[in-house]
Amino acid sequence: MFEKSKLPSIALNIADQAGASFADFRYQERQNNQVFVHRRALKSINDSVNSGFSVRVLIDGNWGQASGTIINNDSVAQAMKKAIATAKASAKAPKDYDVEFCPEKGNLETLQGPCEEDPFLVSNKEKADLLLDCCNRMMDQPGIVSAIGAVAAVRLHRVIANTDGSYLDLTNTFSIPMLSATAAVDGDSQSRGYQEGASQAGFEFIRKAKLAERCVEWAKDAVLKCKAEECPKGIMDLVVDPMNLSLTMHESVGHPTELDRILGWEANMAGRSFVKPEDIDNLQYGSELVNFTANNILENGVGSWFYDDDGVKLYSFPMVKNGLLVNLGMTRETAPIIGRGSSNGCCRAQNYDHFPINRIPNLYLEPGTDDSVTLDTLIADVEKGLYVEGMGSFSIDQMRNNFQFGGDMFWLIENGKITKPVKKATYQAQTTQFWNSCDGIAGPSSWRPHGVMNCGKGEPMQIMCMTHGASPARFREIMIGGASI
Amino acid sequence: MKTESAIKAELQAILERVDATEAEVDYGYSNQHATRFGENAITQNMGGENEHLYLTVAFGRKHGSASTTDLSAEGKERLIKSAVENAQLSPEDPEYVKLPAPQTYPQTAKSYFEDTVCLTPEKIAGDVAIATNAAKSEGFLSSGLFCKSHGCSAIANSKGLFSYDQGSGVSYSLTVHGPAGSGSESVTNESYSRINPNSLVERAINTAKAAQNPQDIEPGDYTVIFEPRAVRDLLSYMFWSLDARSADEGTSAFAGKLGQQIVSPKISIESKIDNSELPASRRGVAGLAARPMTWIKDGVLKRLRYDRFWAQEKETDPDPNIHPVFIAGEDRSQEDLIASCKNGVLVKRLWYIRMVDAKELLLTGMTRDGFFKINNGEITAPLKNLRFNESPLVFLKNVVGMSRPERVDSGYSLPAIMSNDFTFSSKTDSL
Repeated sequence: MFEKSKLPSIALNIADQAGASFADFRYQERQNNQVFVHRRALKSINDSVNSGFSVRVLIDGNWGQASGTIINNDSVAQAMKKAIATAKASAKAPKDYDVEFCPEKGNLETLQGPCEEDPFLVSNKEKADLLLDCCNRMMDQPGIVSAIGAVAAVRLHRVIANTDGSYLDLTNTFSIPMLSATAAVDGDSQSRGYQEGASQAGFEFIRKAKLAERCVEWAKDAVLKCKAEECPKGIMDLVVDPMNLSLTMHESVGHPTELDRILGWEANMAGRSFVKPEDIDNLQYGSELVNFTANNILENGVGSWFYDDDGVKLYSFPMVKNGLLVNLGMTRETAPIIGRGSSNGCCRAQNYDHFPINRIPNLYLEPGTDDSVTLDTLIADVEKGLYVEGMGSFSIDQMRNNFQFGGDMFWLIENGKITKPVKKATYQAQTTQFWNSCDGIAGPSSWRPHGVMNCGKGEPMQIMCMTHGASPARFREIMIGGASI
Repeated sequence: MKTESAIKAELQAILERVDATEAEVDYGYSNQHATRFGENAITQNMGGENEHLYLTVAFGRKHGSASTTDLSAEGKERLIKSAVENAQLSPEDPEYVKLPAPQTYPQTAKSYFEDTVCLTPEKIAGDVAIATNAAKSEGFLSSGLFCKSHGCSAIANSKGLFSYDQGSGVSYSLTVHGPAGSGSESVTNESYSRINPNSLVERAINTAKAAQNPQDIEPGDYTVIFEPRAVRDLLSYMFWSLDARSADEGTSAFAGKLGQQIVSPKISIESKIDNSELPASRRGVAGLAARPMTWIKDGVLKRLRYDRFWAQEKETDPDPNIHPVFIAGEDRSQEDLIASCKNGVLVKRLWYIRMVDAKELLLTGMTRDGFFKINNGEITAPLKNLRFNESPLVFLKNVVGMSRPERVDSGYSLPAIMSNDFTFSSKTDSL
């Protein structure tokens, strides 16, 4: 570690002397512990520490950043000089508008996220025993040929100091379980497993997941899927569980509403968006039942980092209200481009050496207001349709319009009842068509969160985390099937 | 960057401090710079260097590992302590395979070039400015990424195995958007002087021009010509699925297929390590010496990839490496291949490919940045993008022609491939 007050000042003073309109010093340490089991064997127990610093500078509207793992007065000073030279090089291909960076007041805070039982103090033996127990139980089921189990803990420690006068010392801890069984039966192979994602929490989250109590059920489901009929194809009604919806909203709401993508900054890799800035308060994104909230102070949200990497204090804001798009995810640089005076805190970097970019916040579908609406009542009003549980394949076009999703388990609905499992189901729609076809959302008691830890975006690629969530919901007249050899 | 002898001494010192049955330590150093641009302007510009160590320790069949970017004396002590504790506390792994003995490594092509090492942010920004200015002059929008890196890696184990490699790389990808269509190009090489950034810009802009005002096309089965980049996009999933154990367990598309004709006899797929244009690493998993492999020969599945445990179980050699992958193609240009197509579509790039069904190797994805109609051997019109649901095995079964191969990124040498009855399942309005 480094001496708290001095090193950032060295960098920021050099930036100030060079005429920077903004500069920051970011130190980040990412501590990982992972235990991984495959089939009946413990394949790895690993502890990793990835730490370093970067300095970022904005000069005449041009960015430069430099990073390193050796942290001392000299290395920090040299890095800032490199960042300044890089910013000046950026001027060869400058933006054709006056770059503004939203002002923020400086904050001085030291904060730690929720963590009841420190996952780094839980013995690797206990984790390994849990996973081996689960995988062995699954492998003991007839038809199961493979099982994967993992428990990971991540601790993210960030120190952010910038020319706003902020000094932020922030720590967040995450727990991530994974468990899956693969069956090979009757010439087919299918998988089923844990679906609830990650949480900003300690090992208590792993314990609450009750993996040992549930794993055999997942193994049996994998076998059931192998033996099931293939899903019929056609236009049908769709009822979707919160875990599957989390991925659907990630791809078709979260990414399209990232302002940097809308501005074309992601065009070379992940594409652009059908959403335009003028769609705010104009685009009917979904039916009137559909409300999306971006909430970066969600309790146990994996995107609830207190402050983003621009030093913006995080908060909650509506993204879609009664189906109408009312906001976009922004940063201090992108917000002024569409005439906004402040960022809503969506700027984050994966590691110390990544450049912070516009990322999806914690984003969820609000539950319905009536708790008498449940999964069963949603299904009861479907004549012919499909109920989808969990995550499967996912693919969406480069403007975030045409998508095709799978799932982890599928059940045919006939005359208001689940009748049998089916397999190899996909559903395909256009984004606004899909969300506008929503005519039922279960009530608050049915709402479930899902923490995603592996959202990929940017060049070079960066992985980021955010929590989604939903209650089960129903969508009318969706194309089911269409994916087969 | 440290010298080979300095790194060897450093790794040896770590191994000597580990009191265990056996241990392996990996070292990596990287110095990189990346300039990213969008809407004809540089949006991110960053560089840095880092080192890391990865230590694996075993007590009999009990093993554990740790890694760190802190290579101070204290950092190394913590690394050793963590890996040793992890190993001591772990249950026995019935599939643990002892570390390999020292290897004899093959000669491979040079992969470290000073012209890349010396490439400056200013020069990179200058190349980017050529792209952005060219796009602006057409009224188009350019976006892309220009990266360069150099570094070294080493592995040492307690049985005396040691291997050191150094490498450099430059990678430039560019997408150009017009109002109603786009084009994209990319190039990767170890040496900056071997890439032609200006030519890449010209090709991307020409594709974007040709792609304007695309016509509607209905989903269905089509004769396709995939350019090499699109071939790589589709076949990557197939290469990742070549695992022998998954096939033996019945979970992969290759289950029961060894020795069988699974694709067109025109197709042979090999891993080569002696190609001068596409340098290979001298080593693979656990420091095993890389070697050439034939996976598919004249359409017959010859070999699946064995990890060290499964190779031991099946009494065969493990397969330490798969890249770079080569498909030889046929002796004609891409233009001649297009000229041979009576009625089909040309695909330059694919996007968001994901597995739909692993047992069938069924993939979904979409076309992007260049999708064109071919009539009687000529490109006649740009087309609106389509989604596909298809298997690379079906694609390779239905091959009717190929071009000469060309390098695609750092892992492939692939031809353009013409194949019949490729299934596009739905439209997408995306440009």
